Amino acid sequence: MTFIQTSPVSHAQHHAYPVMGSLNGMEIALEFGTPQIQQAEAAVAGVAEFSAFTRFAVKGAGAAEWLSAQGITLPPAANSWLMQDSTLVLRLGNSEYLLEDQFVTGHASRLAQGPAPVGAKLYPVARSDAALVLSGQHALSILAEVCALDVAAELANNQRLLMTQVANISVTLLSQTLNGETVYRLWCDGTYGPYLWHELTAMAQEFGGGPVGLSFYFK
Amino acid sequence: MKLLTCPVNGTRPLSEFVFGGEIRNMPDPAQASDSAWAAYVYNRTGAPGLKKEWWYHSPSGTWFVAERNTLTDQVARTYLYGQEDKA
Repeated sequence: MTFIQTSPVSHAQHHAYPVMGSLNGMEIALEFGTPQIQQAEAAVAGVAEFSAFTRFAVKGAGAAEWLSAQGITLPPAANSWLMQDSTLVLRLGNSEYLLEDQFVTGHASRLAQGPAPVGAKLYPVARSDAALVLSGQHALSILAEVCALDVAAELANNQRLLMTQVANISVTLLSQTLNGETVYRLWCDGTYGPYLWHELTAMAQEFGGGPVGLSFYFK
Repeated sequence: MKLLTCPVNGTRPLSEFVFGGEIRNMPDPAQASDSAWAAYVYNRTGAPGLKKEWWYHSPSGTWFVAERNTLTDQVARTYLYGQEDKA
């Protein structure tokens, strides 16, 4: 029997009647309208959900050595990230690492399906984040309203990530170029996903934007 | 807006932090007298002054030490536990 997991944000999306699809065993919103509508909203202020991507996380003083032995290139500085092949490698603080495949199977899937990490000062971390993407010309305006920090200045270095609060929810935040455009990626505890989705889409709609499906970014 | 500097994540609004109490040395439970143990459990130093305190940056899960003057509410410095010499 195969189980399809609902996304952590699905409760907040049903009223918009998205076209749903399955990715990595999770039901995820693919489209919230025609391609023309999606394009227009994403250009102004779009909010999309990437929660279905496979993740793998470890922490501890032995995490860096273990990941390096698995062939993972690690960000050299705390609170920074890099892209290795199709996998996003995030260094959260000094000694915690989060790997997330980007749509296609990558290093996170390989490590998740392999033997559990065992070693001194090495601790697996279960991640069930809600992962959102904020795009469009008003993305920074939205973040300016919901963040106490000037995230534009903090994220001026493209390889830096922030752990801060957005709309009073603890998030990991970074800026990334996706399909040639600058977008803002957010990860938060999955249980806060519907709230954050509701807040961000409501603000995006004030700018003339709205929810955007995963298929807008990945075919 | 009050600000506090996390040694890992930088300066952030105080709303991102949780106070963890003054750092106090725990007496050995096996060796301490009842009165010494009771004092450790129940008594706190209320006099204002420069104190070492636990603070927690909740978005990143970082515990650190802040040296704060509880009379003026000024933070002298912050550092990770055990890295006082690097502050």
